[in-house]
Amino acid sequence: MKVAPTLDKRLRIDVESDVDRLVLQAIVVDARATGGGLADHLGGGMPRELAGDWEELVLPELGDGFDRQLEVVGRAVAALDGEGEIYITVNDAEFWYGALNQARLALEERHHLSEVDEELMPPPLRSAWYRSQFYLMVQGMLLDYLMG
Amino acid sequence: MGETETITSESTRLDQPWNVVVHDDPVNLMGYVTWAFMKVFGYPRAKAEGLMMEVHQAGRSVVWSGEREHAELYTQQLQALQLRTTMEKAE
Repeated sequence: MKVAPTLDKRLRIDVESDVDRLVLQAIVVDARATGGGLADHLGGGMPRELAGDWEELVLPELGDGFDRQLEVVGRAVAALDGEGEIYITVNDAEFWYGALNQARLALEERHHLSEVDEELMPPPLRSAWYRSQFYLMVQGMLLDYLMG
Repeated sequence: MGETETITSESTRLDQPWNVVVHDDPVNLMGYVTWAFMKVFGYPRAKAEGLMMEVHQAGRSVVWSGEREHAELYTQQLQALQLRTTMEKAE
């Protein structure tokens, strides 16, 4: 897989094998595998006098926004027919960034990757760590080339 | 029939300001946190970077203080950007 910015301010992902496609499909799978709702996690620390309204009015809206991010990425990956390219535009950059962030947050929640020694990881954890590093790399490119 | 006397009085009390607090987490990129502060508050890069560093080094930072309605809006926007954000009454 190759990821590179284009001259017309897009990010191009070249999908060169089934493994590449599986890695991209894993973004949504990883993101959805979180134990609790991300919105609940992010908005869960509100003071008591605001918590009720927050839970009723804000958290569902946050959850809908996070779902939309995964839909955008899921649709782009599903549209791949074998090998091919995905182009991320400026308009979609925040959706992609958010989806990748959800995946990394979920992996961190499940595996505590930031606390584990890379050299001592068992194979299943190593696979999660590599995915997280790939997501991180794409996020960095989105930030540098499309969201700046 | 007796007359009814109506007495009105007004008092003005300033609302206590609220802080918007962003907490550190092991996932969000430092550059992204800076970008989020610039996007939500319109802060110049130097101020946004300073607040980001405070989040990173101190574990939390008060990134904005003011009236409750605005604090709620900013908090919601930062949470939508997946930053762990809470509100608290200013001391």
